[in-house]
Parts: sequence; C-alpha cells; structure tokens
Amino acid sequence: MKRKEYISKGKAGLNLLKLFGILSVLIFAISCSHDEEPDGPNLEDRFGPFMIISELEVNRDSVDFASGQTVLFNAEFNKNVNWIITITGNESGAVKRIEGFSRIVNSVNAVWNGNTTQLPFFKIEMCNIELTIPEEVDFSSLASIEISSTRIYPGTLFTDFEQPAGSNITLGNFEFELTNNTARSQAFPAAHGDFFYLFEGTDNVVPNFFTGLIVISPQINGTEYVQFPTTVPENLYFNFFLYNDGRPYGIAVIQFAYDTNDNGVFNDGVDQTFQLTGDFPLNFTGWKQFSHTMADVGLTQELLQKIVAIRVLLISDMNSQPTPPLQVQFGIDYMTFTSGAPLSL
Amino acid sequence: MKKQALRYSMVLLIFALSTNIGYSQDGSSTASEKEEQGEKIRFNGLGRTNLLQTGIDGNLLEGDTLTPRSLTDGEFLLDLKINATPNDKTEVQTILRLRNEFGGFFGSGMTIEVRELWARGVIANRVKYRVGDMDMKLSKYTLYNYDEEGHVNQPAAFMPQKEIIYYEQFYGTDNTRRLQGANLNFGLQFTDVIRDMEFTGFIARVRGTDFFTIPSRFVSGGELQFSTYSLNDSLKTKADFGFYLAHTFDDLKSGEANTGIRNTVATFNWDLKIWDLKNTALHFMGETGQSWLVSKNDSVDFYSSDDSFLDLGASLHLKPQKVHVDASFLDVGPEFFSIGAQSKRIEYDATKKYYNRAGEAQDQRSPTLFDITRDPAIYTFQLSDKLMPYDPRFSNTFPYGRATPNRRGITVGADYGKNTDKLEARLDAAIMSEIRGQGTTELKNFTLLKAAATIHIDKYIDWEKNLRFTLGYQYELTDRGGLDVEKVNLSSNLLELGIEAEIFTDFEVLLGAKLLQAEGSDYIPRIDNFNIVSDFPGRSIIDDTETLLAGGVRYNFKEGIYITLQYHAFSSDNNLNSQQSYNLNQIFVLYTMNF
Repeated sequence: MKRKEYISKGKAGLNLLKLFGILSVLIFAISCSHDEEPDGPNLEDRFGPFMIISELEVNRDSVDFASGQTVLFNAEFNKNVNWIITITGNESGAVKRIEGFSRIVNSVNAVWNGNTTQLPFFKIEMCNIELTIPEEVDFSSLASIEISSTRIYPGTLFTDFEQPAGSNITLGNFEFELTNNTARSQAFPAAHGDFFYLFEGTDNVVPNFFTGLIVISPQINGTEYVQFPTTVPENLYFNFFLYNDGRPYGIAVIQFAYDTNDNGVFNDGVDQTFQLTGDFPLNFTGWKQFSHTMADVGLTQELLQKIVAIRVLLISDMNSQPTPPLQVQFGIDYMTFTSGAPLSL
Repeated sequence: MKKQALRYSMVLLIFALSTNIGYSQDGSSTASEKEEQGEKIRFNGLGRTNLLQTGIDGNLLEGDTLTPRSLTDGEFLLDLKINATPNDKTEVQTILRLRNEFGGFFGSGMTIEVRELWARGVIANRVKYRVGDMDMKLSKYTLYNYDEEGHVNQPAAFMPQKEIIYYEQFYGTDNTRRLQGANLNFGLQFTDVIRDMEFTGFIARVRGTDFFTIPSRFVSGGELQFSTYSLNDSLKTKADFGFYLAHTFDDLKSGEANTGIRNTVATFNWDLKIWDLKNTALHFMGETGQSWLVSKNDSVDFYSSDDSFLDLGASLHLKPQKVHVDASFLDVGPEFFSIGAQSKRIEYDATKKYYNRAGEAQDQRSPTLFDITRDPAIYTFQLSDKLMPYDPRFSNTFPYGRATPNRRGITVGADYGKNTDKLEARLDAAIMSEIRGQGTTELKNFTLLKAAATIHIDKYIDWEKNLRFTLGYQYELTDRGGLDVEKVNLSSNLLELGIEAEIFTDFEVLLGAKLLQAEGSDYIPRIDNFNIVSDFPGRSIIDDTETLLAGGVRYNFKEGIYITLQYHAFSSDNNLNSQQSYNLNQIFVLYTMNF
C-alpha cells in the first residue's frame, strides 16, 4: 500500500513537472512579446543638426483656382522639423499658412486650393511664398506664384458689394447721423474683391443708439425673395465678414425681414424682422468672419420662404459711450448662405 | 473515493500570538528582558538623541550671500510602545512619539503624535487578522520595497544615520511596505501531492481624498501559495508555486473627484526544487505576469496600457563550499507598470532638509552620496502613480529594481559564506538591454557588476573582539550606438570601504569611505502621466566625482543601545565646471536606545 502511494505521488510529481515545463515554454513565448515602437520624440529630430536637402519648389507658375487647380509644394530636410509655408498676396495682403511636422513636404501635407488663413481673400494677383522653420531662424526658402482666377467658395452669395446696387440698397440715414462715407467703399482692402459696404456715423443728433441702416432687397440678385441653398433653418448658415478698425462702442445688427403682408417688398413696421440675440459687438480689429444658422435667429422653414429684405444697422452703444459720443463704424462684405456648415475659409 | 477523500484539515499556519518576539518595524512585539510571562500590558520603545552640525563650503559658495555656512540642529525623541493582550487571541499596540527639536524649550518645538496603531488576533483559531498599520510584501513585481541605490555593502560608519532613515520611513528588514488597512491570513493542509496552501489578503488606503480633485486611493491584493509533498524521495524533489495579485485603485465615489487610475498586476510564481542532496541543491524558479493600467474619467476609460514580464532562473547550492550560484533571464515589458513594486524609496526632486539650494544662483542641489546617507527628507514610503525620477550615476540598469520596465537580459550571482564565517562575499552581474528604444530604434545596453565582501579579521587572527573590514563595489556601463546624436556612453564606479575595530570592550572605532565616479553622457527622459516619455530635456553630460569619508567612535552599552560620535567629510567635484564643486561636512553625536 505504501509503495502504491509512493508510485502515485511519483507519477503525480512527474506530471506536475511536465506541466511546469510546458507552461514555461508557453509563458516564455507570451511574456517576451512587446510593442517595440520607440518612446518619445525622435532624438535626431530633437537634437540633430538641420540641413536642407531640396529647396522649396512649387508645381506651377500660375494657378486657376476657379477651375479647381491646386498648388503643390515640395521640399526635403534631413530630419523631421516643424515647418511653415506662408503665402502672401502682393495686392490683397491675404495670407495662407500651411504648417506641418515632417521630413518631406509634398502633395500629402502641403496643398493649397486658394483659400485663406487670414482675411481678406486672395485676388487675381502675384503671391510670395516663404518656407520657414521656427527652430532654424536663419533658414528661409522662397518662391512665387500668380493667381489667374480666385477660388470659388461654396454657397449662395447674397451680395459682395462688387457691383453698384442702385436702388436695391436703400440707405436709412433718418437722423442724419451717418457720414457721407457710408456707402459702397474701397476705403481699405475689402475682405473679398475690391468693394465692401462701409458704415460710419455718430449718434449725437438723436441719442437713441440707432445711427443708420441699409435695406438690401433680394432684387439685387433679381429675385423677389432671398434665395437659399436649403430651407432647413438648422442647416442654413448665414456667413459674412465684418471689419472694425479697433474703435469701441459700435454694434452691428443684421435683420431678416419676413414679408408679412405678402406684397413682395419690404414695408418697415409691417414686415416682421428677426435678428441674432446679442447682435455683433464691434470689439475686434480687422476683418472677421461671422456665421450662424437661420434657426439661431428664430426663422422657421416656412418663414424662410419669404425673406423680403436683409437690413444692416449701425448701433452706437450709448450705455458705454462717453459724452459727447464718439464716432462708430464698421465694414461688411461677402454676405453668403451655405448649407450644412459654416463657410470654411 | 480517493478523490472524494481529498481530505484536508484546517491547520493554523500562523503562529500563536507571540509575547516575546523581536523588535521590528511592523510593530511585532518586542519584550524587554525584564518582562514577566503573563503580563497583559508591556512597554517598550526607542529613545534617540541626535545632535549634529553641518557645514558647506567650496567654489559653489563664491558670491553666495544667502546660504549659511554652518547649520546646527538635532532632536530628542522617545517612541513609547504600549502593547496589550487583553486575551489570548487579541493583541493591540500603539507607539506614541514625543519629540523635541534641538533648541526647543518648555513645549516650544515639541510634538506628540501617534506613530503606529494596530490590532491583531485570531478568528476561531483559524484565521489570523490585523487592522491598522501593517507591513506588507508580495513578490518583487507586485508589492516590494526595493533597497535604495547608492550603496552595495554599507560601511558600518554610515549605518547609524541610515538606521534613522529606515526607522522613520518604516522600511522593514525584508523590503516590506508600510500600509494602513487590514489583512487576513490562513492556511490549509492536504494529504495528497499538495501538502499545504497559504492565503494572505489585504486592503489598505494609501491616499486620502481632498473631496474635490484627488480621490482616495487604495491598494489591495494578496497571495495564494501552494507547496507539494516530496515528489521524489531520493532527490527530495518538491514544487512550490502560487499567485500574487496587487490592485491599486482610486475610489471615484469619494468627493467630487471623477478621474483616477486602476493598476493591476497579476503574477504566477514557482520554485521547483529539482534535487536537494547532501552536497548540492538545484532549484528552478521564476515568476511571470501581466500589468494593466487604466485611467478612468467616471466610468469612461480614457487611457489604458498593459504589458508582461518574465523572470526565469535557476540556482545551485554547493553546500560543502558554502557557495550559492544563480542565473536568471529577465524580460520586463516597456509598459509594465506596478505601483507597488516600482515606487522608489528616494524622491530625487524632493526638498532636502539640509542645503536644498546653494550657490549664488540658489540652484537646487542634486542628491549626493552625502544626502542619500543621512537625509530622511529625500526618502518616502508613499506609492507613486508614475515612474519616479532617478539619477543614472547611481543606478541606470535597474533604477526600479528587477521590476524596472523596458529591460531584457541575463543576471547572474554568487555568494559565499555566512556572517559566522571568516569571509562573506556576494557577486552580482547583469547584462541587459532595452526592449524599446527611447527616441530612437537603437537600444541602450547595460552592464552591471556588483561585488560585496565582509572580512571578519578577528576570526583570522583569533581576536576575541570585533574587527571587521567591508568592501563594496559597483560598476555600471550604459552605451548605445547609432548616429552621433543617438550615442550614449555613461560609466560609473561606486567604491565602499569600511572598518569596524573594537579596540576596547564595547568601544569601537568606525572608519568608512564611499567614492562615486561617473563620466559620460546619457539622455534622461521626462516622464509624464501614464509613464509616457514626453521629451528629452537634453543630453546630460556627466563628469563627477563624489567622495564621502567618515570616522568616529561608538560605545555599545548593550545590544540596541549605543552612543556614537562621528565626523563626515564630503566633496562633490564637477570636472566639467569646477565652479559647481563644493564640500559638505558634519559632526554628530547620536545616542540610540532600544528598550
């Protein structure tokens, strides 16, 4: 009996040792498998000396953005670096920046479709192109390109003030507070094209906040009502650019007039108007893009069918103005409607 | 029937509550010799008086009008341990600390605090429990408090101040971690193949909540260990194996905090005694497991990683020669993370108690041999939720012990003798490499050599008093090839020499020396949360020499009670910029009494 138990224990022991042996092989195979992708930033990129292998090259001398052409850039360095391509319009002053971190600049990471990073839009003009590396302050590689036609942005343009509007824009200088500069203007570079609409005035005749307005009729595009790319108010974006030279106290108001009496023309005090809560305080400098949906101003799909005018007002914030009040102003340009998303520059 | 007859009997593997066990960091009872059997309440403790003066000078101090050239401080301290056994199944203990700063009078600078509090006992004569403060240890990859770097075979002259650090930081003699919580322990005994099983489980809170952004943190886990009967009586073949689990987690229901981590490490370990004969014994042992790290925001996991490790080895005991030889293959994954095992003792960015900043620019000094030997302020027993900084001059191969992530290679070791022999010696070597490059696909290679020897000269010359010489040496080389910018080459040498000479009965002269020399360059990664290497601040170019010399006397009143007077001189020589070189020195009197 004792011998039997001994044999039993011996067999069990051998089985146990065999099990350990098999387990060891399995464990060895499983435990020694690891992700071997290096940790942290590449040392060569981080500390290695910088060298340019091929200078900046542009794939064409002239580009026709309107027909869908693009500009491709090529350059090569000896290591991954942060690089910036800056394209500046010689006439417009428009700026497009393309940035990346790589060793090679090519069609994968450096393509320009004519858009802009910093307003205004590019014009038909010559552009300077500069490739810089922030960590290599002495490095610069230059090129140039001519724009033969500008990019056509998606959406339905309401007006960009490029053409004289005639009676389709009605000036409302009821309190004689607007200056004679209030008009379609070229006083400074437009956000798009050559013209924009400038408001300028002082609320010092009838100090009631209101300074002046314009009413823009859809007839500017030859239609009775404003045409939209969609009538779903949540998907319909109104986009425009405002300019301010930095002076405070001005507020821009944009109203959408619904043809309440169905007569096809705007009747002040009769047709219902809609505007964004809070409006657009002019607390910035330069051109700035604004976008909001038509649902944001309270318009429904039914109301969107009969927008008979867009009113643009200049308001002087008399709650903040000193005494006597100072002049306020703003410029407006490129009023356009897009579907599904705000206008992308 | 036989299977059914897998009879087991519950046996108490735990020891009966001791009333006469040695003094230890976890508060296990220490009874003085004066104790009488049957006493219900016992008083033990530790008294310490430490007076020291520290000075600084050297090139670094030129133009520095802020740094005092000399500092004097000290403390008088009494830890009164009150141990009570209200019945034969329950024991409670507290340590009350009374401490007075040197120069504090009539209550000024005096503190009274509870240093330790726990209770333990046995439930139904089967299950041992403990609540309150406890010292826990699992395996080297789950919960383990690795020794700090900067020493191999510490000369006795440096031990008194080290013992203060260890005592203050609750560092147990066997690499335990001080926790506050509860544990359970019980065992089972079987009749067939498996001889016994032992289970230990615990949970402890390691961090409290601020009720806003920091959640409470807990660490829990345990071990389940099995031991077999002899599987081959002639060879005495035997297998021990088991499982370890350590789970650290944040309680996201405490306060407003909604972001926290989960770190789990589960391992399987084994020790197969292949034979244990008269002259030799051979073991195959190892441990393998997996770690998981998850960061949670409420119930959403926004970061997770996991990795594995394998530690596979063998050891041979040559009994007549008194030699142990061991060798292991080690593979610890780059993302293996174990809070309980990788938290270091030394916080390299902690504020030092002495001369934290020095020089005209008042830059923070890096911890040196001098600081590592004497400053409790740079030590911690807390658990860190990311890999802590380290100094490659002291340890680059295994900055987090054997649980250092991103290492693969071979370790070998051999030791000879015991402390009763004329010579004790230990030799360790490791040839390791990274598994994953840092900033490059090139891998760093590490070579580590450690040697320690203690020569009991008194036994050679047949002298009845204590005369001992100690030697410690560590050589470490880190190198990496590749492009110039990727190349790394850093070597360091640490040499320790010590002499203890009992020239009169119980009166010893202590001499010690430590020398650290490091030269070369390396990249030290900046590690962000979740142990992600965010950047390399730059190549660290090192050409340093640190020298620490100690001399003094010690009088031993009896075991555990002594007074020592010592002078230590330290110099840090920066060979790249001599203006950064400086000297430190200290003279101290330390009286320690364990009672």
